[in-house]
Amino acid sequence: MTTKTTEGPILGQTFIAGLWRENPVFRLLLGMCPTLAVTAAVKPALTMGLSVIFVLVCSNIVVSLMRNLLKPHLRILMFTLTISTFVTIADLFLRAFQPVMSERLGPYVPLIIVNCIIICRAEACASKNGLVVSIVDAVGMGIGFTLALCVLAGVRELLSTGMIFEAKVMPAWFVPWAAMSMPVGAFITLGLLLGLVNKLTKGKS
Amino acid sequence: MRNTENEMEETRFENITVAPAPHISRPVWTYQVMTDVIIGLVPAMAFAGYYFRIHALILIGTCVISCIVTEWICNLILKRPNSLGDFSAVVTGIILALSLPPGLPVWAAVIGSAFSIAVGKMVFGGLGSNIFNPAMAGRAFLAASFGMMMTSWTVPATINPAMPEISAVNKIDARTQATPLAWSKMAIKRKEPADVVNEQLKAMLMGEVGGCLGETSAIALLIGGLYLLIRKTINFHIPLAVLTSTFVFAGVVYLINPQAYIQPHAHLLSGGMLLCTFFIATDPVTAPLTRRGMWIFGAGVGTITMLIRVVGGYPEGVMYSILLMNAVTPLIDRLCRRTPAGGKPSV
Amino acid sequence: MSKIRYFIKQSWLLILSSFCFGLLLAIANAAWYPRILQNEKEKLNKLIVGLVSDANDFQIVIEDVNIPGERGKIIKTDIYKVRNAEGKTAGFAFVGIGSGFADKIKLVITIDSKCEKFLGFDVLSSNETPGFGDKIKEKEFRTQFKGIVAGNLEIIKAGEAKNGKVMAISGATVSSESVVKIFNIYIDKITQKIQEAGLD
Repeated sequence: MTTKTTEGPILGQTFIAGLWRENPVFRLLLGMCPTLAVTAAVKPALTMGLSVIFVLVCSNIVVSLMRNLLKPHLRILMFTLTISTFVTIADLFLRAFQPVMSERLGPYVPLIIVNCIIICRAEACASKNGLVVSIVDAVGMGIGFTLALCVLAGVRELLSTGMIFEAKVMPAWFVPWAAMSMPVGAFITLGLLLGLVNKLTKGKS
Repeated sequence: MRNTENEMEETRFENITVAPAPHISRPVWTYQVMTDVIIGLVPAMAFAGYYFRIHALILIGTCVISCIVTEWICNLILKRPNSLGDFSAVVTGIILALSLPPGLPVWAAVIGSAFSIAVGKMVFGGLGSNIFNPAMAGRAFLAASFGMMMTSWTVPATINPAMPEISAVNKIDARTQATPLAWSKMAIKRKEPADVVNEQLKAMLMGEVGGCLGETSAIALLIGGLYLLIRKTINFHIPLAVLTSTFVFAGVVYLINPQAYIQPHAHLLSGGMLLCTFFIATDPVTAPLTRRGMWIFGAGVGTITMLIRVVGGYPEGVMYSILLMNAVTPLIDRLCRRTPAGGKPSV
Repeated sequence: MSKIRYFIKQSWLLILSSFCFGLLLAIANAAWYPRILQNEKEKLNKLIVGLVSDANDFQIVIEDVNIPGERGKIIKTDIYKVRNAEGKTAGFAFVGIGSGFADKIKLVITIDSKCEKFLGFDVLSSNETPGFGDKIKEKEFRTQFKGIVAGNLEIIKAGEAKNGKVMAISGATVSSESVVKIFNIYIDKITQKIQEAGLD
């Protein structure tokens, strides 16, 4: 991913990498805090995922644009400054237009600032690559993160409430497993999903 | 089963101490130990059958069968050799069933058994690699998921022959009652004397009280525990440490304020204390290997149980204390590493 | 001199972008802050309308009432007057905060215009255990507080829930007790303040 070419196949690969081969949650195990904390239901997980995509794309754009001006010893400071600005904007936006979700996510929206995925992409990709590659990388990683969160949240919401996206899907006799909406459920589901992904990717990559 | 073998060696050659490795091999197989445990559990199962009738049969049957099936499926998926021959799935199933409320719906028992085996044992790498006692892991999951069902206790059939029907959701009605521990906790909270429990002592000894399927009868569990001790399937360190620490803790708080706490021997006889002491805390996989480690482990189990019972919000805490001590077992083992002859212990 | 030049050379980007980002945040804040305030007000409004059946509008009548809370801490709260369509007082509302099982519980509590009965409560925010403690949000538990005499409440686990007694949620006694505790901490002082001010 360090090449500066902007050819189609490489862009495509960069995009796919974030979705599967280097999926931030299942393969890189980054951003575990929101992964465990906001996946009790799909809706907050999706909101979190979209916020991360927004912050990731914006910070990658800014970092990529100023990558040649960065002083090596000040770069982390610049990354953090950039990221925190966009996170604050995302937080304000949610509070203004999605008050219910904002309340549900609580401190985890401001905590996107310390989400490793974003600083990792700024360091590993945006500070070394051109604008287009950085954007594609951010979108790919962001969607990969969102999908992972939604899968995890889907399993947990289904078992803990019998619903998916707040719509009843389980038959009436189903008794919700309360443990799945607690932190225990997050850890167990994540562990089992990681095992499954490892099994699926065994021998590859 | 390593430590069981060790202890047997130790008792044969009194003055020679054999540390975890190397071993002189002796033909003690896992299935033999597990068969002994199953025999030890027979009295508890018999009493459960006597008090809870068809419920006991269904619950034990469901748990054992679902544990076996889960283990078989896991082995199939994970491409591991068939491990059903060691009977450990059967033991897990029986212990889980005995630690569940008699009126628990069948499907919940299936979920608990599947969780015990799949998440509690197989994902760690099967028998011998699991950190937590599988039955307790499954029970903890059920307690967290279906809190209401896990705390409504059927009245034994000898008191009220009208057993509640086996339904998908068990409800609290006249055919359910609180356990002695829950009763005393409520009484103490309302600043009433907790004599209820002290009057129930005889019923607790025989098992004629509300509670989990196999934990109500102290006598049955004591018989089973003694059998295991005599057969040397388990050694006395852990049970003794658990019971002593519980008794001391309960005795001290009782002496300080007899009004606010129940008598120490009531603590020993009630709840899952004896079941856990003899059959769960002594699980050779999840308990420490050395004698000193066993003392620490047992004392920890007793103390945490009493802390939960006396200070915490729950009336019973044996399950959580065992799981907590399971979690620190590797540390205890590290702490109690033996010094090899003529040298310092390796770090 | 060279030191300052070195400093600027190293950090001009940082300083410049700080300004830019600061500006960006100021704009975003200015644009959305009124909406955020509006949202908070609307939420309270919705809850109060749900509790006081003929509520039309409400306004703060007494600001910063000092409530002696747990361990001698002073909590401040505002009392709202709820009016019906004819402009008459339909009741009073206030926000009560107390510690629950897992986190702070924030309630909206309403009482009738004569401070005799509670009109009920709703949960503004809480973080109680799902399946147990979060049942304090459910109607089954909340309706118990509707029409109950405004005085000290007591939580019970069995028996009949009447005369200021409230049935606890099974398996969530701590959460139920926390709710009742919030009621008890606030009610005396609130009633006293309302009567002192001669509002009705």
